[in-house]
Amino acid sequence: MKKSSAQGSEDPVLQWVTFRLDNESYGINVMQVQEVLRYTEIAPVPGAPSYVLGIINLRGNVVTVIDTRQRFGLMPTEVTDNTRIVIIEADKQVVGIMVDSVAEVVYLRQSEIETAPNVGNEESAKFIQGVCNKNGELLILVELDKMMSEEEWYELENI
Amino acid sequence: MTRPQQTALRPQMALQSYLDGLLQEATETFEAPLDKPVVEMLPELSVEAAAPDEFQAAVLEEQVRDARREQAPAPQVAAFAEPSPVLLPSILPVADPVVAVVDSEVVAEASIPVLVDVEKSIPVEPLAEVHRPAVPNGPLLPATPDGRPAWAAEPFECLLFDVAGLTLAVPLVCLGSIYPLAGQDLTPLFGQPDWFLGILTCQAGNLKVLDTARWVMPDRYREDFRQGLQYVISVQGYEWGLAVHQVSRSLRLDPDEIKWRSQRGQRPWLAGTVIEHMCALLDVAELAELIASGAVKQMHVKHQ
Repeated sequence: MKKSSAQGSEDPVLQWVTFRLDNESYGINVMQVQEVLRYTEIAPVPGAPSYVLGIINLRGNVVTVIDTRQRFGLMPTEVTDNTRIVIIEADKQVVGIMVDSVAEVVYLRQSEIETAPNVGNEESAKFIQGVCNKNGELLILVELDKMMSEEEWYELENI
Repeated sequence: MTRPQQTALRPQMALQSYLDGLLQEATETFEAPLDKPVVEMLPELSVEAAAPDEFQAAVLEEQVRDARREQAPAPQVAAFAEPSPVLLPSILPVADPVVAVVDSEVVAEASIPVLVDVEKSIPVEPLAEVHRPAVPNGPLLPATPDGRPAWAAEPFECLLFDVAGLTLAVPLVCLGSIYPLAGQDLTPLFGQPDWFLGILTCQAGNLKVLDTARWVMPDRYREDFRQGLQYVISVQGYEWGLAVHQVSRSLRLDPDEIKWRSQRGQRPWLAGTVIEHMCALLDVAELAELIASGAVKQMHVKHQ
C-alpha cells in the first residue's frame, strides 16, 4: 500500500477534457475548464484580432471566444450540432474556445504523457504539452496558457 | 378708360412677368454647365432684371400687395417650375455604428458530451526487426577523424531502401524495426516543420515519422513524393522513423568501398557514398541526434 501511494504521489493522475478538431483528439486540463456550452451565436467584435471569433453573453458576463482552428493552423469548418464552446480559464482570464465536439474526461498518469517533438519553430508548436495514447487513439495535450503569447493575452483582456 | 384698364391688368402682367422670369431662371440654371461659376451667371440675371418701367412699377405694386398678404396666413403654394431645393444635411449620413449587442444569454447545459465514433487505431506491429547490435549494450563510439563512424571500423551490414527513386543505405546497427505505413494513419501535429509527417502509433510507442525525401533532397523535392510511402524504418534508440517508398535488400559493405565524408558540415547525417552501388550512406543516428537535440530548429532558423 505504501508503495502504491508513494508511486501515486510521484506519478500523479490528471484529468483531461478531450475534444476533437479536424478528426484529431486534443486534451486540456480539466482544472482549467469551467463549463461546456452548445454553440450559440457569437457577436463579432470589430477590429478584434483574427483569432477572435467574437463575444458571447454568459449569464451577464461577456466572454471572448477564440477560433481554435485558426489558432491551431487548421482550415475553418462549418458549425454543426456537435460544435461546442469550452469555457476555460487560462492566464487568469476566462475565455471560450470553439471546438468541433467535446468527447469525455479521461484520466492520464503523468508517466503516460510523452513529450512532443521539439522541432517546430512555429508559435503554435509551443502549446503542445505532449501526446498520449488513450483508448486506442492518440491524444494531443494542449497547454492552454501557452496558446497565446503574453501580448495576445493582454490584447484579449482589452477587447 | 384706358388707365383703370391698365391698372386692372397690372397685377396680372406683374404675375406673368414674375413667373416668366422664374421659368427662364430655372431653365437657365438647369442648362448652365456645371463647371460654370455662379458669378458668371449674374450678368444674365441683371439683364433679365432690366425690364421696362411699366413692369417695374407693376412689380413694385405686386410686392407691396404681397407684403400685405404676408400679414394674413396665406395658403402655401409650391412653385411649379422652381426646382425644389435639395438641402444637404449638415452631417453626412453615417452607417449605424457596429455595436456588438449580445441579446441571447447562454446557459450551460448539465450534460452535453458528444460521443463521436472514433476509429480506434491498433498499434502497428513491426514487419521486421532489423537492428544488429554492434557492441551489445555498448554506447556508439564517436567517429574517427577521417569521417568513419565507429560502426564502420569493420565490414558492416546495410539495408538498402528507396525514397523517391533515390537509393539509400543505412547500417543495420543504427536501425530499429520496419513498420508498414500503407493504410496507416499518421497523426499530424500543428506547428511542426514540413518534414514532420506525423506520429505513427506502433507497438513500441509513438514513432515520430519524418519525410526522408525532404531531408535528403530538399532542392529537388516535389509534393507528390509524399504519395506511396510504404514503410517507416525506426532509428535505434530514438523515437524517430524514416518514411520510405521501398525497402529493397541488405548487403554487407566493406568500409574501404565507401567514400567517407570527413567534413559533415550542414549534412552531418550523410556519412558517405557507396560507389559500387551508387547510393548514399546515411548516418541515421546522427540525424536522429540532430533532431532530438533541437539543433535542427537552429539550422532551419539560420536557413530562413
